[in-house]
Amino acid sequence: MPNIREIRERIGSIQQILKITNAMYLMSSSKLKKARASLECTEPYFYKLQSTIESVLEHTPHTRQLYFDRRADIPEDKRKKGYIVITGDKGLCGSYNHNIMKYTDQKLDEAVDLDNCYLFVMGQVGRMYYQRRINSGKKASVDGEFLYTTQNPTLYRAREIAELVLDKFEKHELDEVYLIYTDMVSSNVQEPRTLRLLPFERKHFGKAADGTMKKLPKASFMPSPEEVMNYLIPQYAKGIIYGAMVEAFCCEQQSRMTAMDAATTSAKDMIKDLSLRYNRARQAAITQEITEVCGGAQSVEE
Amino acid sequence: MARTFHLEIIATDRIFFSGETEHLVVTAIDGLLGIMAGHEPLVTSLPTGELKYLVDGVWKYAAISEGFIQVMPDSSIILADTCELPEEIDIKRAQEARERAEERLRQKQSIKEYYETQAALNRAMNRLKISQKHFK
Repeated sequence: MPNIREIRERIGSIQQILKITNAMYLMSSSKLKKARASLECTEPYFYKLQSTIESVLEHTPHTRQLYFDRRADIPEDKRKKGYIVITGDKGLCGSYNHNIMKYTDQKLDEAVDLDNCYLFVMGQVGRMYYQRRINSGKKASVDGEFLYTTQNPTLYRAREIAELVLDKFEKHELDEVYLIYTDMVSSNVQEPRTLRLLPFERKHFGKAADGTMKKLPKASFMPSPEEVMNYLIPQYAKGIIYGAMVEAFCCEQQSRMTAMDAATTSAKDMIKDLSLRYNRARQAAITQEITEVCGGAQSVEE
Repeated sequence: MARTFHLEIIATDRIFFSGETEHLVVTAIDGLLGIMAGHEPLVTSLPTGELKYLVDGVWKYAAISEGFIQVMPDSSIILADTCELPEEIDIKRAQEARERAEERLRQKQSIKEYYETQAALNRAMNRLKISQKHFK
């Protein structure tokens, strides 16, 4: 028979936690509303950008443009691969961070040489995780100055990140750049996904959600294809990074809301269960006391 | 009624415009570019600048910052970072941005920072110019 006081304390502490999880639930649901709204506004751009670029590329003549350079002369184990990984800034959001990091780990395992992998991690949780991994000997260098939060994505931040990776690509510090983020398939289904940013390749563009693919017979480029690509590709990179940031932020809020909702429900269940046990213990104690009193009275009478 | 073509202007934060238009004038990297229905297929990028399009005989103006346009005979798509109507522009914010950029230009900066500041200044000046021109 557990101690009554112990149960009471336990109920008290669960109630405190319930308050916190409930507050977090409310906060994340209001943040989710905001993130949803911005996702809905950005999604047309995100998909249209992918489909437009795809159709533009289909009609681009072969160019010697820098961002198309596949650097085929560099062997597979010497290629420097950059991964931009978008994780959350905080924990307590179910399996969101876990999923994206597991997915990234898989990608890293596929890589031939970890020494040539460079991680650009957005979000506190992922950065901590990969820095710890370096210390434990598993190498994949994390750019320590790449400090960006994933809260409230802005175009400005996306622009900075895009400039940084393009710059590294130009300087041959990176040969391939991938973007790893969580995609919101539907409100309950989230999926980690990779997008290849650089070098440009025709087949890696996904089809638009609405399936619109317009054929463009031999487009002309003004003033020249190279010149247009010089502007267009940084623009594309920025747009894609921004879109991915918005998607990931929305996913994070969604999974935090779900997790906190589940925590609140199970806290309520536990309280219900514990108060039943508390009442039983109290009842038992009272019964015992009465029996003792009765027994004592009887013995006095006798 | 002149021949029209379908124009879509999509900014990162919303679909700015989607509908039929008769005539579109954009600022491309090498100057102004007028587009009417039946234009040859064309791709070009747009720096920060002004944009106007003719809908039902009325010219509509907008401030646009960095994007690109894909033209096809019967439709055009503009994808841009931001796109605003003259009356939507926050003059105070643009002014502050201009001052901030000018202030930074006076400091010593790396070339990269210099370009970034210049681009920011461009965006602010463009917003101010367009809002003064079309919205009083």
